[in-house]
Amino acid sequence: MAAGTAARWRLDPDHATRRFYDLIWPHRADVLRLALFLCRDRFAAEDLAQEALFKAFRAIDRFEGPDAKRWLLTILRNAWTDRMRSRAGRSDVSVGELEHEPPARSPRSDDHEGWTHPQELLEAFSDQQIIDALHELPDEIRWTLLLVDVQGVSTQEAAQVLEVPPGTVKSRAHRGRAMLHELLLPVARQRRMLSGNAMGGPNAEPEAL
Amino acid sequence: MSDEDQDLLATAVSARLARLGNMPVDTSRVDKMVRQQIPQPPKQRRVWFARPVRAVAASLLLMSAIAAAIVLSTSGGPALADSAQMAQVYQDIVSGRVAVMQVDSIEAANRMLNSQSPGAPSLPRVPESHVMACCMKSVHNKKMACVLLKNEGVPVTLAVASASDMKMPTSPVVTRKGVDYRVQRVGELSMVMTERDGKWLCLIGQLPAERLMDVAAQVQF
Repeated sequence: MAAGTAARWRLDPDHATRRFYDLIWPHRADVLRLALFLCRDRFAAEDLAQEALFKAFRAIDRFEGPDAKRWLLTILRNAWTDRMRSRAGRSDVSVGELEHEPPARSPRSDDHEGWTHPQELLEAFSDQQIIDALHELPDEIRWTLLLVDVQGVSTQEAAQVLEVPPGTVKSRAHRGRAMLHELLLPVARQRRMLSGNAMGGPNAEPEAL
Repeated sequence: MSDEDQDLLATAVSARLARLGNMPVDTSRVDKMVRQQIPQPPKQRRVWFARPVRAVAASLLLMSAIAAAIVLSTSGGPALADSAQMAQVYQDIVSGRVAVMQVDSIEAANRMLNSQSPGAPSLPRVPESHVMACCMKSVHNKKMACVLLKNEGVPVTLAVASASDMKMPTSPVVTRKGVDYRVQRVGELSMVMTERDGKWLCLIGQLPAERLMDVAAQVQF
């Protein structure tokens, strides 16, 4: 972006504000939703979403487009990383180091017991059960699934947000889905969902977060 | 678990996660906090007819500009045949890059050019030069009759146009026997332009400018 243009925006707060409300504001629900999947606490999630939106506003003169959503998700990602580092008490640590990424366990022979119709069974889990399982995943794996599967972001775009090669996104997504299955399996057994006592159902109304 | 089963499971997990992306979220508290910090600027009031009027004005302006460009390029004042353009004409004719008509006299050349382009400027006779070919060229939509001559064994092109159609360049003027010649040089080519009997003449060749001025002085309309 030309320096002159950037300077003009800085000198014209109304322009920056309009740009923010035109480009960024429509994606605030996506940001809050993602924050809710990241934080266990609703207030923490709202605080994180607000922080990302304020950071986007302050940096709006640097946004070159065209994908405002990806740009905003990158800001959210950075804000989240800063929080994780702050929590760890270190500024030089990568998020990958903060949480150990266990390799996906080789599926046991009985892992697939009863999962003859996995889609039907997964639909029987409530949204909150899925979210709880997501919270158990390592941060990088969770971010990958949130971007690729939940937000429907392409592998290439997710790679840009996460600052990793596209191949890493693919392998993390693959591992993440297997890990999520492993996490849900005991829940399914505990609730006897494998024998058909599914909770809720595929047509259950999604609850508001 | 087979690879096929794993793929099926991965697809199912992916599809289930995609449903989370449609979960409704209550953004009211975030909205309130952000709007307090970043007040939304009032929407610009727009007069309902302003946009159509601006669109019409822009269209008119564009059409006027196009019309002006067409008028200037087709019927504007005299065209300036710059030395680079004329050197290109010479190269095109000598190298055969443009279609030329083989002729052996100025009369034959004039007949051919008139049949091809009625009203074409007539070529003058050039004593002591051998006529080889002719063609019509144009510079800024101004017609020029061109003839390829051989003078002392060297190819020379003579371009003729109406004097009112062509503008003389601001190159050095050499006056010989009361006649002004504009003399230019492009690489190894000499170029001499002058006016005679209401005609604009341009002689180009790998000859000294003095020799080209001699040839120009000999032309007879």
